[in-house]
Amino acid sequence: MKSQTNISPPTLWLKFFRWFCRPEYAEDLEGDILERFDERLEKHSRSKAKRLFILDVLRLLRPGLVKKIEGNQSLNNYGMFKNYFKTARRNLLRQKTYSIIKIGGFALGIAVCLLISLFIKDEFSYDQHIPDKENLFMAVRGYNENGNIEKYTWFPSPYANAILEDYPEVIQSGKMIFSEGFGAGNANIRKASEVTNYYEDGFAFASQSIMEIFNYPMVYGDAKNALKEPNSIILTKRKADLLFPGVNPVGEVVVIDDNTEAPYMIGGVMEDLPANSTVKFNYLRSLEDYRFWDGEDKSWGSNNYQVFVKLLPNTNLNELIPKLKYIDEKYLLPEYLEAGYSDAEEAIETMSTSLLPIADLHLKSADIGDPFEKSDIKIVRIFGLIALFILGLACINFINLSTAKSANRAKEVGLRKTIGSTKKHLITQFLTESILYSLLSFALAIGISSLLLPYFNQLAAKSLYLPWSSYWFVPILALGSLLIGLIAGLYPAFYLSSFRPAAVLKGKLSMGSKSSKLRNSLVVFQFTASIILIIGTFVVSKQMQYILNKKVGFNKDQVILVQSPYLLGDNLEAFKNALRTIPEVKSTSYTNYLPISGANQNGNVWWNDGRTKIDASISGQNWIIDHEYIETLGMNLIDGRNFSRELRTDSAAMIINETMAKQLGIADSPLGQRITNRSSNRLIYTVIGVVEDFHFQSLTAPVGALAMRLGKNYVTASVKLNTNNLSATTAQIQHIWDEMAPGQPFIYEFLDQRFGNMYSETIRTRNILTSFSMLAVIIACLGLFGLSVFMVEQRGKEISVRRALGAKMSQIIQMLGMNFMKPIFLALLLAIPVAWYIMKGWLNGFEYNTGLSVSLFAFAGLTALSIALITISFQSIKAGLTNPVDGLRNE
Amino acid sequence: MGKYQLGEFEEIVMLTVAILHGEAYGIAIINEMESRLNRSVSIGSLQTVLRRLESKGYLDSKLGESTKVRGGKRKRFFSVTAQGKKAMSESKEQRMGLWNAIPSDFVLNDN
Repeated sequence: MKSQTNISPPTLWLKFFRWFCRPEYAEDLEGDILERFDERLEKHSRSKAKRLFILDVLRLLRPGLVKKIEGNQSLNNYGMFKNYFKTARRNLLRQKTYSIIKIGGFALGIAVCLLISLFIKDEFSYDQHIPDKENLFMAVRGYNENGNIEKYTWFPSPYANAILEDYPEVIQSGKMIFSEGFGAGNANIRKASEVTNYYEDGFAFASQSIMEIFNYPMVYGDAKNALKEPNSIILTKRKADLLFPGVNPVGEVVVIDDNTEAPYMIGGVMEDLPANSTVKFNYLRSLEDYRFWDGEDKSWGSNNYQVFVKLLPNTNLNELIPKLKYIDEKYLLPEYLEAGYSDAEEAIETMSTSLLPIADLHLKSADIGDPFEKSDIKIVRIFGLIALFILGLACINFINLSTAKSANRAKEVGLRKTIGSTKKHLITQFLTESILYSLLSFALAIGISSLLLPYFNQLAAKSLYLPWSSYWFVPILALGSLLIGLIAGLYPAFYLSSFRPAAVLKGKLSMGSKSSKLRNSLVVFQFTASIILIIGTFVVSKQMQYILNKKVGFNKDQVILVQSPYLLGDNLEAFKNALRTIPEVKSTSYTNYLPISGANQNGNVWWNDGRTKIDASISGQNWIIDHEYIETLGMNLIDGRNFSRELRTDSAAMIINETMAKQLGIADSPLGQRITNRSSNRLIYTVIGVVEDFHFQSLTAPVGALAMRLGKNYVTASVKLNTNNLSATTAQIQHIWDEMAPGQPFIYEFLDQRFGNMYSETIRTRNILTSFSMLAVIIACLGLFGLSVFMVEQRGKEISVRRALGAKMSQIIQMLGMNFMKPIFLALLLAIPVAWYIMKGWLNGFEYNTGLSVSLFAFAGLTALSIALITISFQSIKAGLTNPVDGLRNE
Repeated sequence: MGKYQLGEFEEIVMLTVAILHGEAYGIAIINEMESRLNRSVSIGSLQTVLRRLESKGYLDSKLGESTKVRGGKRKRFFSVTAQGKKAMSESKEQRMGLWNAIPSDFVLNDN
């Protein structure tokens, strides 16, 4: 066998073999493949020999020949890790205060983060369950008002059909009604065979095609024709179980609002809607062949319907949406022209129609007017930001405390380095330690968040839970704890591992002061964030207080709203009279036109009589009230008189508000002016009075024009009380109700509560913000507390010497306090302009706001300062109180 | 049966190691098998079987002296243990038993 010294086998592959082969086999196997390679060189070309060599190496990749995974080296590492854990445990137990602050603060931050993540995840899950949601859209109408596009989702009755017929891209379309004025919302329902009503919420109207568009899963009945019959109704499972427990109710007859002339047949029962649905209801009444007034199905003049469409897959929206304009020109313009509107063409010109993907309805439609309860992507983003803020604060605590305590570990580092640890080993050690802390914190955080979850759910009006059963939850937690442990531990690890052993062991390291600049800037950051949150909370609370106490132009106190007085039947007047006998009842008014959202409100167009073809119309409300309305709601009549029972002409009389008088240009002499809301078939009203403007919509909007006339509306009875014992008076009223409407539910609410509900979302935001900023402050203070403990410890000897030489306790406290207050003052300076900018933007969203005042910032700043001061002085006082002997004794 | 059961490839390897008696190392075994049986064998597959047989106790191995060829790597020589011999003979007996059981009128070479 001739040895081929000058030709070597592929080195890389040989190295690869050496790497994977079991060390005990490596030598003779390598000999074998080399021998074979030499053999082949004699027989074949070099390239072929090399190729075959590679093949040989690859064929050696067998379980029996490859290194075991644990290998030989790991034994060593394992030992070191064991040591790291032991050291970590000892450190943890030796310095209990630090460990508690470190882990507790960390856990709190993580718990908050976890809760907010659950919240955000829930927000993003809305409507994602809807099948084929990519092709499902809601129609949105835009009105260009001086360049400002106002968006609404109410459409005329024939719109849904027109869009289906005129556009081949639209394969299905359906309409729904959620307006209270049409009988949606709350209503009484009962079995036809029984008399007892159930007062229920969540009524809505829908055309049959809605069932197919949304593809709602059914429990009983067939989705394809459940609403097909006029006067059919669909119940959700929960509501079906309420009325017809345990049976299939399809085909049963129910009566709504005691209207026995038009009973409803149950066409089907559908599964309950998931909690994360934006389009929500409990009962669906059929819109098939249903007209709210004669000719409504052909009328393009009134907008009452939400329109949903399903498009062909992959429809190009950019092409379709501009084309939707033709619907207005084709149907609406002729109607406008026929009515003789002077501005018909311009009115059409300002209109546009677009389509909103159903998946965007919950979060990305804050600028669109619709009847749904929605959230706002902005709020979600703010919460996400707060979560990151708080996590950042917690990480900073960790970093600060770790580096502050570095002096205590310096000797350990020096010794480890002396006996052979490299920087790499030490970094591994400190990272291991921080990951260990992080794991402990996560475990604690899970405990904290499960405890806080019920409160958080209450706060955010959600039903969140920790998704243990989801496959991703535990891995994400594990990954999160590793990652956060790494992030928080990175700086301390590098910092601690960079000590020079000789210097450390000689005791030259200035104790922990090296990075005080960095620590101070981190403290500045923490407090800047906290102070911004504190100021934000103050501003939001003040604005809320302002709104809830603002003079709204009517008296919302001591008014109870009794639902469904029509259930009294013939006893309506008798009930009113009977209530008058209760001395605590001041007056009673029947109407559901109330200055709160959720009540009847509408939009009409108004002209001065005789000018319908000359002037542009103004838009304003057209309310139906009764004689006692103005007295009951405590409105202020500033001109003219109230409706009178004696004057029969009052049926064509109007009381308008100041804004309307101004907008119609009749503010100078409003009384006796004639106004109309129809351009044809003349309905003319004479103004007999003017009321002071009162807020009938959310205070985010200015007061609009409003007109009120006499009429009958028995949906709600408002009862004004003057009582010190609300429950007794309410009981008296109920007693009369029960006598006059036997078996019918007595449902009542308080006007001020309903008024408060209008701001429930803002109040909710405020409460969440308050809680989070409190938590942020707590976390920041924990860190500050930790640092002050450290500082007092470091300067213990100095303090003792000062005390021994006669320093007063107040001087000691002052000395230590100043050291800490400097970064806090700096944080205050930084936080104020940022907070001012942010809150200015937020307040601008309100038509009526409190504005920002210097005192507010001063108060917020003072709060932050005093919290910080209290945190610090706890330790300072303790330091001042210790006997100097204790500090000097040990040397 | 069963106690000393050998696979087909295992049996061939054992036989070849026995043939090479004292000179049986990786490449030699492969060359022997290739020349006698006209069968190509990769180092990987052979070595796996060798180690398996060794761990079962049928083969024993020791490293030889270092030489200048093979990059100075030593050879590992395999030899059949007593237990291995037992397994081989049992395997042979089984085969013979089967051969003997073939009826005499069965003609092996059909041509």
